[in-house]
Amino acid sequence: MTDTPTPALRVDPGGRIGVSMTVNGTAISTDVEVRRTLADVLRDDLDLTGTHVGCEHGVCGACTVAVDGQPVRACLLLAVQVDGTEITTIEGLANPDGSLGPLQQAFHDAHGFQCAFCAPGVLITTASLLETNPTPTRDEIKAELSGNLCRCTGYHSIIESVETAVRLTAAGAKSTDGGDEEASNA
Amino acid sequence: MKMPTFTYHRPATVAEALAVLASEDDAKILAGGQSLIPLMAMRIGQPEHLVDIGRLDELDYIERRDDHIAVGALTRHAAAEDSALVQTGAPLLAAALGHVGHRAIRTRGTVCGSLAHADPAAELPAVALATGATFIARSTAGEREIPAADFFQGYLDTALEPNEMLAEVRFPLWPDRAGAAVVELSRRHGDYALVGLAAAIDLDDAGTIGGAALAFFGVGSLAVRIAEAEESLLDKTPGAEAFAAAGRIVTETIDAVGDNHGSAAYRNHIAGVLTTRGLAEAFDSIGDRV
Amino acid sequence: MRESLAGSFVGTSVKRVEDERLLTGAGSYIGDLKVEGMAHAAFLRSPYAHATIERINAAAAQRLPGVIDIITGEEMQAITNPFVPLGMIDGLYTPLFWPLAIDRVRMVGDPIAIVIAESRYIAEDAIQLIEVDYEPLPTVANMAEATRAGAEQIWPRADGNVMFRTEADYGDVDAVFASADRVISETFESHRHSNQPMETRGSLAEVTPDEVIFHSAAQNSHGLRWVLAMATSSEPVLDSVKELAGPGRDKLKAFGAGAKAFITERKDDLGDADNKGFIHQVRHDPTTLKHLGKVFMNVLAQDERRRPRVVADDIGGAFGVKGHPGREDAALLAAALKLNRSIKWIEDRNEHLTVGGMAREETLSVQVAVNDDGELLGLKVDMTMDQGAYPAVPFGAATFAGIMRVMMPGTYRFKAYSMKAAAIASNKAKYVAYRGPWANETWVRERMLDVVARELGLSPTELRLRNMYGVDELPTKMLTGPTLDVRMSAKATLEKAIEVAGIDDFRAAQAKARENGHLLGIGFSTYHEGAPGPPDYADAILPGSGAMMAEPLTTVLEADGTVSVITAQMPHGQSHETTLAQVAADQLGVAMDQVRVIFGDTAKTDFSLLGTGGSRGGPMGGGATLFAARGLRDRILDEAADMLEANRGDLEITDGAIHVAGVPSISKSFAEVAEVVRTRPGSTEPLTGSVEYDGGPGGWVQATHVAFVDIDIETGFVTIPRYVVVEDCGELINPAIVEGQVRGGVAQGVGAVFYEKSAYDDDANFQAGTFMDYLIPTAMEIPDIEIHHLETPSDIEANFRGVGEGGMIGSPAALTNAVEDALAHLGVRITEQHLPPTRILELAGVIAPA
Repeated sequence: MTDTPTPALRVDPGGRIGVSMTVNGTAISTDVEVRRTLADVLRDDLDLTGTHVGCEHGVCGACTVAVDGQPVRACLLLAVQVDGTEITTIEGLANPDGSLGPLQQAFHDAHGFQCAFCAPGVLITTASLLETNPTPTRDEIKAELSGNLCRCTGYHSIIESVETAVRLTAAGAKSTDGGDEEASNA
Repeated sequence: MKMPTFTYHRPATVAEALAVLASEDDAKILAGGQSLIPLMAMRIGQPEHLVDIGRLDELDYIERRDDHIAVGALTRHAAAEDSALVQTGAPLLAAALGHVGHRAIRTRGTVCGSLAHADPAAELPAVALATGATFIARSTAGEREIPAADFFQGYLDTALEPNEMLAEVRFPLWPDRAGAAVVELSRRHGDYALVGLAAAIDLDDAGTIGGAALAFFGVGSLAVRIAEAEESLLDKTPGAEAFAAAGRIVTETIDAVGDNHGSAAYRNHIAGVLTTRGLAEAFDSIGDRV
Repeated sequence: MRESLAGSFVGTSVKRVEDERLLTGAGSYIGDLKVEGMAHAAFLRSPYAHATIERINAAAAQRLPGVIDIITGEEMQAITNPFVPLGMIDGLYTPLFWPLAIDRVRMVGDPIAIVIAESRYIAEDAIQLIEVDYEPLPTVANMAEATRAGAEQIWPRADGNVMFRTEADYGDVDAVFASADRVISETFESHRHSNQPMETRGSLAEVTPDEVIFHSAAQNSHGLRWVLAMATSSEPVLDSVKELAGPGRDKLKAFGAGAKAFITERKDDLGDADNKGFIHQVRHDPTTLKHLGKVFMNVLAQDERRRPRVVADDIGGAFGVKGHPGREDAALLAAALKLNRSIKWIEDRNEHLTVGGMAREETLSVQVAVNDDGELLGLKVDMTMDQGAYPAVPFGAATFAGIMRVMMPGTYRFKAYSMKAAAIASNKAKYVAYRGPWANETWVRERMLDVVARELGLSPTELRLRNMYGVDELPTKMLTGPTLDVRMSAKATLEKAIEVAGIDDFRAAQAKARENGHLLGIGFSTYHEGAPGPPDYADAILPGSGAMMAEPLTTVLEADGTVSVITAQMPHGQSHETTLAQVAADQLGVAMDQVRVIFGDTAKTDFSLLGTGGSRGGPMGGGATLFAARGLRDRILDEAADMLEANRGDLEITDGAIHVAGVPSISKSFAEVAEVVRTRPGSTEPLTGSVEYDGGPGGWVQATHVAFVDIDIETGFVTIPRYVVVEDCGELINPAIVEGQVRGGVAQGVGAVFYEKSAYDDDANFQAGTFMDYLIPTAMEIPDIEIHHLETPSDIEANFRGVGEGGMIGSPAALTNAVEDALAHLGVRITEQHLPPTRILELAGVIAPA
């Protein structure tokens, strides 16, 4: 063996490293311990607590965020791995004035959630789905959302919400704030 | 469930990555991290060094070469899933990828990472076995080729040496008159399979079966091929009768291991059911290709 | 946001008030909280199911930079009290235990030490450095082992491993059984599974110079507060005792209505029954008396700082598990008080799966006396419950056995009934409340009715119709005591379900599908649930307990003219901020955005022992809101009458404007009324309307579920092509929210039957510590669920009944009945609740049993 090249970067245990990323449109640079996950950095360091941690082993999907437009599990990524990327979280789906964005509005209109702990992952997964497939079938919605566990709803209202979003997008219509007067008693 | 400490390496070149593997004991490659990170968070695996190859774009490729499709160490599942080269040149791999976890896993997880992790319930090791893929292991000492049959050695155990990186995997180019199917049963959508099958079948000029590969996953500590069943198909007319006969052989031969999600008898049984179903699906896919 | 014009919110699917924050990531869940100087805790837990602790060496861990303190069992014992039993029931012995294991671990995951560190990462590093020497003991992994002669005894003062025994007879059981044409017997087993909300448990003990605030994802902040106060109270100083005994009665007052309910009212009401429970407990463990006395004296006399203020905010689901204060909560508070520092603990998923709480592990032997024509005569049930190692706080298996005893006969005309129940200890995690904690009464009864029908050659629906109380027989009383009032419509839900199910068409499809290797099945189940139940319901379960069931609620006209609804309910997904506001807005004639629902903070809300649980949100929370808001309306109108110089009786409120009927142009707003009240010389207290709502006539919620299954006989996989719920919960406050509750409950039933199991091996090692082993169903596994609402007309005000639990009460029976229907031609009888693919094929005879 000849000369051993020096690794470009080496950080000892417990060491920190600078990470730069664009989160919900805002450029952020922060120092993080290399072992910290993206989920923990978003929540604890950047105070973006809308992203939730439900299992920390990649199954429940609550921590799903979009990295460069692709849905990923923020609990299965180290923050150092996303240096230089663009990240969208549930906070980034709202309108600039803080009001409900179109997807959030659809989930509001269709009574999508109950406890809403799964909401960050469901919303980001749905946003990613609709970007690549703006008119998914009900089966496609179910399959895509099968990586996001919800314990409250039985999923029906979530699927209805996605369908509502699809309809609203298709109609280019903006939801109104009027009460929902649908008949309920059979 | 928080990650333990480790020394973090972010090499700028493949050579630098290999140098770290050569110089440090207990170093692991971090590519997608979809299996490694949870194991570490549960503190089941605690490597002292992580070598993050996420910046080594030269390892992110899918190439069609003379007789194979090559997939680099950093190629994500999602990229392979969307690749036309994979769909035409390695249809069994293409068929498997949709079964791997959920989209949010496939956007980060890598094909080579999944193979190097060697989970016996995962799809890709079985695909590699069924297709006779070749593994390219690279170290500072050079490169060696490992045939799939030798690569997988036990539960989460492969022929890779600690100083080696799985740099590439090569799937032989798919023959024309051949069909592919990956069928599996998992408790829930997206779970590891209770039992799965990567099935390949090719026809000779007479239209009878010229060759078959049946690689099962989720049945024990390794993905396995069932040679007795594969041989039973040779020269047979493809169809329900031959497929069912192969299925019966599989059930009798496979000797699966049971756990809380499915007993041994259950897995033996559905391995046979999947054989019948997988062969039929593989056979049907030939029509699409010829 | 302004919902439609006021006056008509109840009955419409008003969109959720909660969404504005929850859909934008602005919620405030326990894990989101951060306070100044906050440290983080993690627990070292036992890898053994049963062992003695020989030695603990935490020196290396203590030296790790960033570690603040490590507290092990002995030190914790010195700074805390054992959990003293609050529900002393005859036949129940509750062992005393502390927040941490001291010299013996009794389950995998038993907490041994709490590590406090600057970060959770460091706390977990430190845990790996603590050395513990264990001496393994024989384990008790299941009910059969627990009661085997010579079994290892988990609690030295218990009778073997039997912690609870009870027995009750109704009617002349022997005579009725002797008179029957035949007696049909079967034994049913339901498996351990668990609540698993998407948010785990978690708490933050915030220590400030003025007070200790215990933030927690708790379904009942007041209950948690008093359990914590008791667990961490220390010896009162002499001055405190003097003060207590002296003229200042403030502290006694501060003890609150709940303590009063506990001590005073129970003493008056309970008589012999209560003493028996007390005597049983003290006979088994005389130190109970010492600890009880000490704990209560301490709590009364102690420094206010030691009685934390408990604050709960957004909660990511609970389904019962967060109604139980955790040993971890007490350890966390004790550590925070010791260190005078704020500490947060967020349970991770592995911990939650392993020790967070599990439910429903019960074996029930059932005998039904029946005539050949299908007339049900008698019922005998013998139940054993596996309550795990440590009883849940404050109530556990024994309490739920009482509800099962009362509800077991359902709405059928049995002439006699007896129930025996026992709860045993095992080396497993605690048995907690899970969405309808008594639900196995429905599962077993409705499963058994299908068995009986099949033996008699009747259809399951025919047998049910023949024996169920119809409306013409009401009111009547259940054999076990509670009144079935004229709104009890279980039979109507069954009749409607039969109508929509299309049984004849189904039978034709079933025959046809068999040719293709698909076995179709249909299953019915009918139940009624005391949510809230009639006035005589609670006392039938536990004499005197009715006194504890009242729901306090206060409405306040705030200075800005808005109305606060201050409730002891603790929403965790049920959308109380919307539904209670709907009720209040209708009563007050204002818009939704003029009402704000306040909850969760013991400094703001009235005492309630119960919080949210038992499907109380709609009936008790809604009813209390209705009457409290009406009281406030009266006071507002009194004030406005003076202001408008009008007759009180002539006033009405239109969209927030108070005016003489027919003269809307001259009006006063709520803000103007509030201003007059606020600036009045003398009293400046705002107008309020308060109630301690007892539920009024109460009543039952009832439903029939119909499950359709499709079994692939090659693989044992089951799909659910159709699922129907016909329910009557009285008046719907918000149909979309009701339907969400129903569907969510059914989904958990689907999970229980086909996917979820808190599996242990034969040595009580836990086998399902990840979400790859504990299988929560996904969107792909849960069927579309069709809901039909019935409403029995009534002029009762606040005719709301609860729907939180019902989905899960009805579904396991409907699903397992459907599976049996699909496999019946193979001679299969389903006696277990958990039916994964392996078991389906074993039952069908396709593969050999493991």
